[in-house]
Amino acid sequence: MKRCLVYLDAAEIRDSVDLLEAARRIHGEEAYETVGAALHRDIDPAMGAFDRVIQVTRPDIKLYDPAAVTGVMLELQQANGFDSILVPATPFGRMLAPRLAMGLGTGLVADVTAIRKEGDALEIIRPAFSGRLLAGIRFIGDGPIMMSIRQGVFQYGGSRDKKTLLDRYVPAHVRDGKIRRLAVKEKEQIYDIRKSDVLVSGGGGVKKNFHQLERLAEKLGGHVSASRKIVDSGIAPRSIQVGQSGKTVSPRLYMALGIYGAVQHVEGLKRVEHIIAVNVNKNAPICSLADIVVEGDAGTFVEKLADKIEAQGGHQNEH
Amino acid sequence: MNLICLVKFVPDVDNFTYDYENNVLIRDTSRLQLNPDDACAVAFALKIKAAEPDTFVEVVTMAPDKVAPHMEDLLRIGVDRGSLISDTLFAGSDTWVTASVLSRYLSDRDYDVILTGTHAIDGDTSHIPAQVGACLGLNQLSGIISIDPERFDENAAVCDVETESEVSTYEMGLPAILSVTRESRYRLPYPSRKDLERDVSERLRVISNRDLGFAPDQVGLAGSRTKVIKTYTKEFDTKDRIVVRADDAGVDFVYDFLKQKGFV
Repeated sequence: MKRCLVYLDAAEIRDSVDLLEAARRIHGEEAYETVGAALHRDIDPAMGAFDRVIQVTRPDIKLYDPAAVTGVMLELQQANGFDSILVPATPFGRMLAPRLAMGLGTGLVADVTAIRKEGDALEIIRPAFSGRLLAGIRFIGDGPIMMSIRQGVFQYGGSRDKKTLLDRYVPAHVRDGKIRRLAVKEKEQIYDIRKSDVLVSGGGGVKKNFHQLERLAEKLGGHVSASRKIVDSGIAPRSIQVGQSGKTVSPRLYMALGIYGAVQHVEGLKRVEHIIAVNVNKNAPICSLADIVVEGDAGTFVEKLADKIEAQGGHQNEH
Repeated sequence: MNLICLVKFVPDVDNFTYDYENNVLIRDTSRLQLNPDDACAVAFALKIKAAEPDTFVEVVTMAPDKVAPHMEDLLRIGVDRGSLISDTLFAGSDTWVTASVLSRYLSDRDYDVILTGTHAIDGDTSHIPAQVGACLGLNQLSGIISIDPERFDENAAVCDVETESEVSTYEMGLPAILSVTRESRYRLPYPSRKDLERDVSERLRVISNRDLGFAPDQVGLAGSRTKVIKTYTKEFDTKDRIVVRADDAGVDFVYDFLKQKGFV
């Protein structure tokens, strides 16, 4: 039976559990065992979803030390010989996965967004050139199959009430990576666009009146998001960027204002129910995804639509 | 201190051309640029050198020979040595092979720290810094937005790393690999007029596989653990769209749609 190991990132445990969907695409219909590796305490979201969870218990492991965590994961792989190892592409996961792959002498595909299987042949899809192209990649060699997986792309819809076996594991040796965390400053969280039902999103076409989007977003009970162009010009923070170098979002309504819709942007739209695109160019790529295309200046349109909602006494939805 | 910067030259991702018939990328060599995150790494090294003139800065890249003029540009703004690892045998190397090649070169070098960028805008795998770290037995930290020049010496570096939710300050024992991001805002200086014409070629060294001694099947496509089997532009499911104009009628139409779907 094939066995798949998923690294459970303490910071993004739910996203880590979603990697079970990637495991299903890799191993398909054949029987396989899923094993989660946790180096932290809170493993509740994994219980019931995995066949087995290995909880590593050594209080001296610093979860932010890539050298130490890689050492533990290497030890787990050497002891268990998993067929595949999946790591969420979180900031830590993206330091861990390449280190681990190098240690195992195996190939690694980064930031995977799709997995295709034909017979036994596995094709791993990932964006390249800042998301402007997609590359189909094949593994060569004896494995294990290793990938880091883009957050928010796969969604686990399987069972949550398995009888998960819990193994506690004490590693024989922990490497000290000579790193110390001196301070942590929480950033002021404005909102998480991944959780928004309605996103009013601005691109190059509303560069001059980006701040006006806020009013419309408020009227629709949603939030403002932005394209890479807006973020790179310093108008909006990176935390609200949609796309390959930003976040993958799944709102019910996505209003794309002055957004061209390059592949790198559209890569960030998954399971969006409705798209309304406002653009001077009705043939911009984003328009082919839209329910409604509004041809014209997005800045003017935003203002008019917000006025209309206000005039109609449009209620302000709860966030 | 000896600082080594590991850099990559990348095509301008906003202006590349794609050959749809043959499914290949047309790499216009004149449009190559230093990867933005990597430029910040070099800029930080030069900032340290400006304050401590006995600092030695070496820039290392693995690339085709044609990047030599770009490497010379870096030598003109204060980099002491440029090392261009170049061999046709290396063409098509995946990140596993690339990290192995870079590490074999670096294993003979004397350094206190290796500075790199976090992401490259073309491949965007962020593998190389971590993989070189694994090869050389060095720890590595990505996403650095600042390194405190006051707390940067042969023993340790103190740096800030920014993620989505927090900014953490770490002290990293050296030698290690520190990977900065564009958000660091370290900027390369401009060359002076007299430096623009200076011949710097003697400080640029080209290292080939004769120096590194890999077997041909260990590098390039042959040695790679992953292989790109195809590249394609994305095809999306298109919807039956309705096109309206951004006038009052268009606004009314959108409003009615939003109302019907329960958004207003």
